[in-house]
Amino acid sequence: MSSRPPDVLPGLRDAATFVDPLVREKKVIVCCGAGGVGKTTTAAAIGVASAVHGRRVLVLTIDPARRLAEAMGIPEAARTPSPVPRAKLDQLGVPIHGELYAWMLSPEVVFESMVRRLASDEARVQEILGNRLYQHLSKIVAGMQEYTAAEALYTLSTEGNYDLVVLDTPPSRNALEFLEAPRKLSMFLDERVIGVFLPKKGAFMRAASDLIERVFSRAFGEGFYKDLQGFLGAFSGMFGGMRAHAEAVRKLLSSDEAAFLLVTSPEPAALAEASFFQSKIKELGLPFAGYVLNRSWAYTRGFLGPETIQLPPGAGEMERVALKKLGQLADAERWRAQRDRDLLARLRMETESGSAIATPHLGGAVEDLVGLGTLARNLVRIESA
Amino acid sequence: MLVTGKGGVGKTTVTASLARFAASQGKRVLCAEMVGDPAASSALADALGVSRLEIEPVTVAPNLKAVLLAPHLGHTRFLRDVLPMKLLADAAMRSAAIRRFLAAAPTFPEMGVLYRLLDLVRTKRRDGSDEHEMIIVDLPATGHALALAQIPASLLRVIPTGPIATAVREGLDLLTDRERTGAIVVTLPETLPVSEALELVKGIQLHDIPLAQVMVNRVPFDPFSEEERAAVRGMLTGRAPTLGERTMERIDRARVALARLSGEISVPIVALQDVWLDGPRLAEEMASLMAVDGAA
Repeated sequence: MSSRPPDVLPGLRDAATFVDPLVREKKVIVCCGAGGVGKTTTAAAIGVASAVHGRRVLVLTIDPARRLAEAMGIPEAARTPSPVPRAKLDQLGVPIHGELYAWMLSPEVVFESMVRRLASDEARVQEILGNRLYQHLSKIVAGMQEYTAAEALYTLSTEGNYDLVVLDTPPSRNALEFLEAPRKLSMFLDERVIGVFLPKKGAFMRAASDLIERVFSRAFGEGFYKDLQGFLGAFSGMFGGMRAHAEAVRKLLSSDEAAFLLVTSPEPAALAEASFFQSKIKELGLPFAGYVLNRSWAYTRGFLGPETIQLPPGAGEMERVALKKLGQLADAERWRAQRDRDLLARLRMETESGSAIATPHLGGAVEDLVGLGTLARNLVRIESA
Repeated sequence: MLVTGKGGVGKTTVTASLARFAASQGKRVLCAEMVGDPAASSALADALGVSRLEIEPVTVAPNLKAVLLAPHLGHTRFLRDVLPMKLLADAAMRSAAIRRFLAAAPTFPEMGVLYRLLDLVRTKRRDGSDEHEMIIVDLPATGHALALAQIPASLLRVIPTGPIATAVREGLDLLTDRERTGAIVVTLPETLPVSEALELVKGIQLHDIPLAQVMVNRVPFDPFSEEERAAVRGMLTGRAPTLGERTMERIDRARVALARLSGEISVPIVALQDVWLDGPRLAEEMASLMAVDGAA
C-alpha cells in the first residue's frame, strides 16, 4: 500500500512556501534538530527541491540512513561528492532541471585532505599521517563529526562548485556541538594552549611547561607525551590555516547566504529540543529561516472517513465490529491531525515571519525515491512534470 | 545498564522508566546522563520531573538518585588517583591550558566520562556495600554507543602503558563484564529503526559488550483479530485513501518489525506500548506498565 502514486498523497503545495526562496537563492542550508526527527531525509528532500529549480546542489550528510544512501545510489566513504545517477533522479517523480550530488562524510577522508592542503611539503604530510595520535583521532567518530562537517563546509564553499550545499548536521544530542565546533576548534588550536606542550627554549617558559610535562608523563606515560609533542609540532604550522577556516565557516554561516532550518517531529521531546535550539541559533546570531514539522499527521485532505464504507452484502457481526474498530483508528488520526495543526500554528507564532511548514508522515515509504520526491513536493511548489 | 539506540527512539524515557521501576523494587538506583556542558538542558531531568541535575548524585525519589556525568570531574578524579600529590592534580586542573586542552581535544571528554562512571561504580557505603546497586546510563545519540565503545581499544593502541592505560583497561573490563554490565538497545517498531538496531546489536557484540535486552518503544495497540484485519483490508481495497488506513499500515509494520527482531536476536525483546503522555508522567506510566508485565 506504500507504493501509492505520489499525486494522490495529500498536502501537496499549490502555492509557494517559505522554503521556495531558500532553495532558489541560498548558498548553504543547514538542517538541524534533535536526533531521529528525519533530518537526513529532509536535507535530501531540500536538495531535490532545489535541483528541481535548476540548481547544482550538494547534500552533505554525516550519518545517513543506509537505505537512503542506497536509494540515492551514493557510495559510502567516498573521497569526493558523487552525482546521483540520472536513472535514480528519474524515479523521484519530480522533474529535475539541475544537478544533484551527495556526499557521506568520513572524518578520516576530510582530515587527510585538510592535511594535504595545509601542510608545507610531502615530508610533513607523511609525518602527520604516520603519527599514532593522528591515526587515533582521525578514526574516532565521537566528537570528530562536528569538526569534519565544519571543515568540509569550508572547502566546498570556497571551491564554489555548487550553487547550494545542504548540510545535514551531525546526530549529536541537541545537535548543538556543530554550531560550536568552529569556536571549540579555534579554542583547541589556540597557540597558548598548544604552546605549553611544545619543547621550550627560554628558561622561564621551560619552568611554566614543566608542570604540564610532569602531569602528562605521569598520567599517559613518557611515550605518549613524546607522541603528543610530535603531533602538535608537526601540526603547529597548520594551526593558522585551520583557525582561518573555522573563522571563515562561522562568517559564512552567519551571513545572509546561509539559512538554518529547524526540523522537528510532533514528539514532545523533539519539540522541546527544537525550541531550545531556536533560542541557541538566535543567540549565536545565525540566520534562522523557519521550522519543518516532519512526520506530521496534519493533512487529512483527500482522505475519506471510514463511515463512507458500505458493508458488503451479507456482512455479519464480525465485519461490523471490524469496521467500528477502523472507525476508532480514524478518530485517533483525526485527533492527531488536530494536534499537529495546533502545533504548526504554535510554531508559526514562534517565528517572526510565521515560517513553519508540515510534511506528512510517510510511514515506510520515506527511504525510497518516490517518498523523497513526495517530501520535496510538500516542501516547495513544484509544477507537475 | 547502558541504554543505547539511535536518536529519537525514546532512550531517555526508557532510562527514566527503568530507573523508577528498579527503585520501586527496592534497589538503590543511580540514573546517569552524559553532557558536555552541565548548564545545557537535561532531557533526563525532564523525564524524571526534576528541574535540573547536578554533577554529584542527588536524590530524586526514594531509592533513586540521578547525576550528570561531567568529563572534567572525571579528569580531576583521574589525576588525583594517578598523581603522587592531590595538590599537583588540583594545580594541574587549575591550569587554564590543561583544562581547555582536556575539554576541547577530541575523545578526552569521553574518557573523562568513562572514568567518572568507574568512579561511581566503585563508590562504597560505610558497610562496604555498593553505594549504587544499579547504575543506568542514558548514552548519547552521538553516532552510536559504538563510537564511545571503540575509544578505549583505540586509545590503548596509542597509550599502551601507564596509569591511563590501566584506567582504560579497567573501564574496558567493566564494559565487557557479563556479571556487571548489560546493554539495552532501544528501538522503534518501524523498518528502518529495526535495521539500525540490528546493526547496533552486531556492533555491541563485536566490542564484547554484553547485550541484556532489546526494548521496542511506542508499539501501537492492535485492536484487530486476524479475521477482522482481513475483513477491513477487503473493504479498503480499491478505495481512495481512508482515515484509519495509515494507522493500520503502522500496526502492520510494527508486527513485521517485531517478528524480524525476534527472528534475529536471542536476548529478550520487550515491547513497550505507545502511551500518549510526556515528561515525568510518561516515565511513571511506563514504569507501572513494566511492573504489570513483570508480575504477569
